[in-house]
Amino acid sequence: MVDEQGSDAAPGLADLSIESVSKTFRTRSQTVRALSSVTLKVQRGSFVALIGPSGCGKSTLLRLVAGLEEPEQGAVLLRNETPHAFRARGELGIAFQDPALLPWRTVRRNVALPFQVLGRKVSEYRRRIDELIELVGLTGYADALPGQLSGGMRQRVAIARALVTNPSMLLLDEPFGALDQILRRTMNQELQRIWIASPITTVMVTHSIDEAAFLADQVVVMNAEPGRIVDTISIPFPRPRGPTLFAAPEFHDLCDRLAAALDSSAAR
Amino acid sequence: MMRARLNTFLYLFSVLLLWELAGRSLHAVRDVIATPSMILAQYWTAADLYVPHILATLRSAAFGFLIGNSIAVIAAILFCRFPVVENSFRGVNIALFAMPPIVIGPVLAIIFNGDLPQIMLAALVVYFPTMAATLLGLREIDPRLLDVISAYGGGSNTALRFVRLRSALPAILAGLRTAAPLSVLGAILGEFGSGVRWGLGSFLLGSLGDSDPARLLGIGFAATAVAMAGYAFFAWISRMTLGATVAVTIAANRSPDQIAFTGKYSWSKRAALFVVAVALPFILWWGILRVARISSIIAPGPMETLRYLFFVPDSADARAQIVAALAQTLPLAGLGLLFGLAAAFAIAALTLVRPAVASAIMPVAMILQTMPLIALVPLVLLLFGRDTATTVVMAVLVVFFPAYVMLAQGFALVPRAARELVQVYGGSRSRELVLVSVPYAASYLFAAAKLVAPRALLGVMVAEWLLSGRGLGNLLNTSRGLLDYDMVWAGAGISILISVIAYETISAVERLARRN
Repeated sequence: MVDEQGSDAAPGLADLSIESVSKTFRTRSQTVRALSSVTLKVQRGSFVALIGPSGCGKSTLLRLVAGLEEPEQGAVLLRNETPHAFRARGELGIAFQDPALLPWRTVRRNVALPFQVLGRKVSEYRRRIDELIELVGLTGYADALPGQLSGGMRQRVAIARALVTNPSMLLLDEPFGALDQILRRTMNQELQRIWIASPITTVMVTHSIDEAAFLADQVVVMNAEPGRIVDTISIPFPRPRGPTLFAAPEFHDLCDRLAAALDSSAAR
Repeated sequence: MMRARLNTFLYLFSVLLLWELAGRSLHAVRDVIATPSMILAQYWTAADLYVPHILATLRSAAFGFLIGNSIAVIAAILFCRFPVVENSFRGVNIALFAMPPIVIGPVLAIIFNGDLPQIMLAALVVYFPTMAATLLGLREIDPRLLDVISAYGGGSNTALRFVRLRSALPAILAGLRTAAPLSVLGAILGEFGSGVRWGLGSFLLGSLGDSDPARLLGIGFAATAVAMAGYAFFAWISRMTLGATVAVTIAANRSPDQIAFTGKYSWSKRAALFVVAVALPFILWWGILRVARISSIIAPGPMETLRYLFFVPDSADARAQIVAALAQTLPLAGLGLLFGLAAAFAIAALTLVRPAVASAIMPVAMILQTMPLIALVPLVLLLFGRDTATTVVMAVLVVFFPAYVMLAQGFALVPRAARELVQVYGGSRSRELVLVSVPYAASYLFAAAKLVAPRALLGVMVAEWLLSGRGLGNLLNTSRGLLDYDMVWAGAGISILISVIAYETISAVERLARRN
């Protein structure tokens, strides 16, 4: 239901276009085909989840989009630009499983880091930084060091940092992978709340079926050897999706469908 | 923490008390190692000697510390930013790591005047540990942080500015902490080579003949105190700036292998870099003398030294002298290395079975590790005399403490789950030691061997120079006195070459052992 909530975006406009991309990793003893001719289009304002077994290349795909790896064949375009040109304008936000915070910087100064890397004046963005800290629910912790925060709070800082430049593309690489199941569900709802407040095009890598079904508009199922897309499933639930959705029978049916897609592709 | 400190204090106090009582009641003890009160008394009566000697050493050490560490930090940043530069300097780095600094003293004394030889030697001695610690600190960072920087279009310089430099701060401070006592050692070894009037090294040289135990031990303790004050100062700074004591002591005890950048180079590029790495030390040797316009009579370059050793009428005689000296020095260094390492490994393993032993040895080992080996000379002389056994004892002592600290840390890092697995199947502590801990810590044995092999050679040469009057150490000392410049340079060059070969041999054995 991409059109329902991405209503202000022109339909059919692809923010991200991955065109028959291949990538091979060579180690001394073996060659791994991480991605084999992967094509994917992501509409403006939609939330796409990449799911699949480890080694299916989902993280590699995300890293290609961020320009952290280069494709061997094919092309990655973000609004018709290369990742390098796109990210140099601060249009890209990214968060990983590891919050990757600078341990010697306070929450506020960690959130400010992207502006410094982009060569902008931090003083001009003070309000934006404080807004983001408030948005992720960390008001009152702005001057705390990462070491004084819990795992979930650190992950919120990472998400605030990813959103602070007002990016048009958000990349999330298993952002809650290190959290326990209960905290993870809370964070899923938090992320949805934040995302509805400013629905930017989002690509999230996850290995949790219910996280993908809860958050995404579309779930892209991948498989390994070689890394490829095997199925794309639309998620029809209207937003905002509440915690009761986790218990709903239609939610479970959809999770079963996703599991089946993962299974059948693995059996192939 | 407080309790441990109190225990160490009580321990030291009771040792001193026992020593005093034994010395007072027994002539044999008093005549050999004096008593603490005698040592204190001579500090008082000879204060007019101690103060200028200490100040002279302190000044050389401080300048050398400043110069050497500045170069080390700048070099580490360059190496981190441009790995090819590091690959090219690999030979230089290994030479500076493995060289016995005592052989550089006479060479520096030929080139420089006044305090400069001591300052330069102190700078050379502190370079490697600080450079290695800094480089590792700059490199060992969370790769995700670099991804975050890249995601906003930041490059290597941005990463250096926002992430690497600040990340490396604890490691840099750990490097400086290790470097502080080393700079004192470097300054003292430089004084031996240059024969200046003032300095603790000169003081020791002048007092060796008097065989006054209180004076000799007094100088040893003074050198230790100066070195440990430097260590304590930087330990205090890192506590103040970093809030907590971070356990990064190991960072400053790395060998060149552990910092080497292993990039993905083609075969041809790797071969070219190898040639550059081997040639660069010799090119620098030649180039520095050229640039400084120093006469080749007092400062022969690599080619002249080769000629001296092989292509002039006296070559055979020179070679015979060097071979005879090596035949005395190398077996002793090897023996000292073997005994020292074996003892360190055995005691480190024993402390795993009897943790109480560890808590008794560790503080002493940590203190003695920072003690400049020069301070051991008086003690070894008074207890063992001047014969060959003394030389081995010196090497063993120099090897044992750093090796023990490293191996004990290695044993401490054995995963608990692996050890508990043996216990779950009813295995005893000793069984667990044989099956899990010893194989696990064996890799630290190689690391320790690489770290202490140069020290074994240095220990032997210091003992030869000051005490036994044999071997390579003595050859360098007498050539220096006879103004036999060619021999000083040749002896220094060969000593460094042998150290580098010993280092590379241990590395090669390690690689073989790893492969199996």
